[in-house]
Amino acid sequence: MIPLQTQSTLPDWAALAPAILLGLTALTLFLIDSIDPNDESPSLLAGVATLGSVLAMVVTGWYLVAGTGMPRTGGAIELFSGQLVVDGMSLFFTFIFTSVTALVTVASYDYLSGRPNQAEYYALVLLAATGMSVMASANSLATAFVALELSSLPSYGLVAYLKNDRGSVEAGLKYFLIGAVSSAVLAYGISLVYASSGALQLDAVAEALSMGIQNTGVLGVGILMVAGGFAFKTASVPFHFWAPEAYEGAPAPISGFLSSASKAAGFVLAFRVFVTAFPLEVVAGTIDWTLAFTVLALVTMTLGNFAAATQDKVKRMLAYSSIGHAGYALIGIAIVTGTANQGYALGASMLHLFVYGFMNTGAFLFVALVEYWGVGRTFEDYNGLAKQAPVACFAMTIFLFSLAGLPIGGGALSKWALLSATASAATLSAWLLAAALIVNSALSLFYYSRVVKAMWIEEPAGDFEVSSHPTGLYAAVVGAAIVTFLLLPAFGVVSGTAFDAAAALF
Amino acid sequence: MVSAFEFVPAIAVLPLVSFVVALAFGKWMPKKGALAGIFATAGSLLLSIWTVLTVAGILGSETAYHEEIWQFATGIGTFDLHLGVFVDPLSSLMLLIVSLISLLVFVFSLGYMNDENETGLPRYYASLSLFSFSMLAFVFADNILMAFMFFELVGLCSFLLIGFWFREDAPPSAAKKAFLVTRFGDFFFLIGVVGIFATFGTGLFVTEAGFPAMAEQAISGEMPGTVADFLEPLGMGAQGWFTILGLLVLGGVVGKSAQFPLHTWLPDAMEGPTPVSALIHAATMVAAGVYLVARMYGFYLLTPTTMGIIALIGGFTALFAATMGVVKQELKQVLAYSTISQYGYMMLALGSGGYVAAVFHLTTHAVFKALLFLGAGSVIIAMHHNENMWDMGGLKEKMPVTYWTFLSGSLALAGIFPFAGFWSKDEVLYEALIHGLGDPVILVAWAMGLLAVFLTGFYTFRMVFLTFHGEPRTDDAEDPHGVRWNVKLPLGVLGVLAATLGFINMVPVAKLTGAHIDFLHKWLVGSEIVNAEFLTGLHVYEDLLPYESAYIAGGEVPTLLISAALSLGLALAGVGLAYRLYAVPEPVEHTKKLGGLRTLLMHNYYQDEYQVWLAEGVTLPLARVADTFDQGIIDGVVNGISSVSLFSGDRIRRIQTGVVSNYAALLTIGLALLLIAFGIVGGWF
Repeated sequence: MIPLQTQSTLPDWAALAPAILLGLTALTLFLIDSIDPNDESPSLLAGVATLGSVLAMVVTGWYLVAGTGMPRTGGAIELFSGQLVVDGMSLFFTFIFTSVTALVTVASYDYLSGRPNQAEYYALVLLAATGMSVMASANSLATAFVALELSSLPSYGLVAYLKNDRGSVEAGLKYFLIGAVSSAVLAYGISLVYASSGALQLDAVAEALSMGIQNTGVLGVGILMVAGGFAFKTASVPFHFWAPEAYEGAPAPISGFLSSASKAAGFVLAFRVFVTAFPLEVVAGTIDWTLAFTVLALVTMTLGNFAAATQDKVKRMLAYSSIGHAGYALIGIAIVTGTANQGYALGASMLHLFVYGFMNTGAFLFVALVEYWGVGRTFEDYNGLAKQAPVACFAMTIFLFSLAGLPIGGGALSKWALLSATASAATLSAWLLAAALIVNSALSLFYYSRVVKAMWIEEPAGDFEVSSHPTGLYAAVVGAAIVTFLLLPAFGVVSGTAFDAAAALF
Repeated sequence: MVSAFEFVPAIAVLPLVSFVVALAFGKWMPKKGALAGIFATAGSLLLSIWTVLTVAGILGSETAYHEEIWQFATGIGTFDLHLGVFVDPLSSLMLLIVSLISLLVFVFSLGYMNDENETGLPRYYASLSLFSFSMLAFVFADNILMAFMFFELVGLCSFLLIGFWFREDAPPSAAKKAFLVTRFGDFFFLIGVVGIFATFGTGLFVTEAGFPAMAEQAISGEMPGTVADFLEPLGMGAQGWFTILGLLVLGGVVGKSAQFPLHTWLPDAMEGPTPVSALIHAATMVAAGVYLVARMYGFYLLTPTTMGIIALIGGFTALFAATMGVVKQELKQVLAYSTISQYGYMMLALGSGGYVAAVFHLTTHAVFKALLFLGAGSVIIAMHHNENMWDMGGLKEKMPVTYWTFLSGSLALAGIFPFAGFWSKDEVLYEALIHGLGDPVILVAWAMGLLAVFLTGFYTFRMVFLTFHGEPRTDDAEDPHGVRWNVKLPLGVLGVLAATLGFINMVPVAKLTGAHIDFLHKWLVGSEIVNAEFLTGLHVYEDLLPYESAYIAGGEVPTLLISAALSLGLALAGVGLAYRLYAVPEPVEHTKKLGGLRTLLMHNYYQDEYQVWLAEGVTLPLARVADTFDQGIIDGVVNGISSVSLFSGDRIRRIQTGVVSNYAALLTIGLALLLIAFGIVGGWF
């Protein structure tokens, strides 16, 4: 382990190193592209993008281990007059973003082979990742909005990356339009909050509100609209409409990127803003936002899972299941009430998002692999795939069962953590959430098993031959599977960090 | 000098090794795994002899041994579970018997299986080795859980071996029956094991910490804490509860030792290869039940009710099985019913307080029954696997070794002086008589046992005369197939033993002459340590005996003589009747004279029929009801939920129209609804 003294010698801005590294990587990619616009060596681009994200991941991991911004080394590091903050939670989420980015860039190397405009693709991925890591550190409504847009705008472009594919372009446009509506809602919400508190910096908002709330209506509408803006990012009902189409139309690695990293980014913002700026004891008279999140969680997980159960395309099923998982992750913030162990509840959600980052990205990358082979998109097209590609199908089985919550990967333990958090809250709404979690997980096992059944048990319909084994995609899929599986025995390593980071927020 | 006791686990482990070897490499071995088994059981036999000599005090001063080998479950705040070894006179004697019979069966199998060019021999020898392993480990088990585990393994092996010829119709069915019927008894045994652990916090058979000793303390008034804690909420007396526990364990015994009413599996088990029958009947499977009662005799002695039940079951089974043996036409069937009957005697002895008599009869029976089965096997080889006695006759001249050894075994089985069975059966009946004079239940059991002596003599010699005497009745009997040394050697060894083994405990002679030649009695009395520390010596059991001895005709010796004369006279009468009816050149069936009784006997008192009816008429409808409930109610609810889910999922799916303006509208409506709802709740307006 790195001695802690090293930390004190670094300047404070160094705490932002992951975001800076991601941004610089994006700029480097632009530079490479401007020097040689017709660069036909994708390995350089993919290499630089992967290197940058891995470097950022390593630095984040180092900070997490060393305790940067955590109570044991002197608490959160505030930068730019508290506009940005680096603490355990921001680093924890940055680790999710950077690792998902690394997986996606590795996998994209094969997925993009032969397609044009690869430099732009990688640069946009890195820029979106930069935006996400700034979101994790945003400590003011203004920076939050800017960071959110920084992560959203590249995403629109990425979804529409397959310019000649009608689905991709259509999905990109829909995503953009819904995104515009949602941004408007968010911006309006922020303005209303500013109107009633006169501050944008989160701590300042909380302080102003604690002095007394003048116009409860304005503040209430503002808070709810801010929540709506975040719900767009997390793909929660009723701001989820873009998600099934965007995930389905986008290149599969981007689907994985958006449904894992982008979703997590929405959550980190929601956690920080609501816990820091709108403490429940201050705003409870105006709006009990845990109730709002309870309703959102219930509706989101139910709608996501029920819709996923009747899909016939695997990618679209995963898209809906991703909505369902947003509902699970919302549980953490829905039970941050006085009775619950608040740090534990939030930590459980963080853990679920962490595990989800690997298992869901892995599942989408498997879909990318299948698309790469040119196999169809429906469940039937997956029939007998395991005979052709047993390793990849084994990895996919791990992802799917872990998503369902079977103890073959970390997903079982993160769901268990969510359940035990609801049990510790022990309110009526918490029990309701727990019941919904259990019922929906049971339902999800049904549709995840359909894929597993198709791959392993069914006989192949046509005589299809898997022609190649793309190294990058395989490495990413297998790597994600290994991490997903290892998170089962090594869950304790991650959970300690998550609970500490969450507890530091209160 | 190393002690034999350190090698006791190896007695069981050697056959286990040969199991693995035969299974893995048997295909490539010269005798398909037989040699591995022979060497392993020979090793076990040598170690057993060494152990017996050590227990006898000839090779050192340590005459009993108890050690925990492996604790496989450590309880936190409760009891531990372990495997352990306990060697005392009883278990060492049993080790000797089992390893001897196993060895002879392996040798005999060379003639019965290899020479007959059977297929699947590695599987056969592997199962046989596993069988020996299980039984040997069962014998030296120091606690009831370990005993149960190996008891079950014994059951599994019998299943594998009875169904060895699984391509035919009857053997798999017989194997299934044996497994299920004994399993029925084992179910109660398992509950009993759990009950014993729950009550005493230990399953140990021996020492002050064992459950028999704790039970004795509980009954004598010094209730150990754990027992008191258990009994208090139960609201039962110690005596009553221990009776229940004893009866539960007895369920397993009745199943394995083929006692009424769970004896029905054993005649069917004759479908297995004959050497297997020898092993099952003489030394392993069936003996396991009786041995278990002997092993925890200190516990059973505490509950006179259980003792009475054991005696009654034993006496009744002895008579009941003997009547069925009278009408059987197949050689092995007669032997099967004789086995049931003879184990009935052992149960009778145990139940009436004749511990030594029971062990004695167990020992002699092991020898002569193994001999009879192997002899029958020899006849079956000669007869080209025809087992019907009416097709035999006149084999005496053709196969003298088989005849003379078989005769020796038959005389022992019938209880004719001075063959082994006479001494042991006589002692069983004598013990039952002297204890029965003060206890009507035991007396009834004794009377049934005595009556069975006559029948035993009759059916045994009916079998001998039909098989070996008279004129050959078929071509096969005219020209039998020869047998080799590997059949004759085991027969010879056992034939000599069957004639002489009774001399190890000639109680009548000892009583008459005053000479101390009751060696088995002395053996089971055991050394100081066996009585004082391990509490399994005869002195301990004698102190606990719930019966008073009473004598007729003025004393012990006259009673003894009357009893011996009575049983010998009845046996001779049975033999004589068989001689009159069947020792003629052209014997005919006399069973028709029995009239309606014949039908009843031929159908084995409709035991199978009523058990099948219990299964098909009672259990099956119940199972159907449960199945209907499961399929209809439970699955119905589950299926209902899933169809509701899929239906609503389909509805939800339609919200996603694909038109982006719809999305924007729905999004706005959703937000507006939230705003209105929270606005009303929060009182914003």
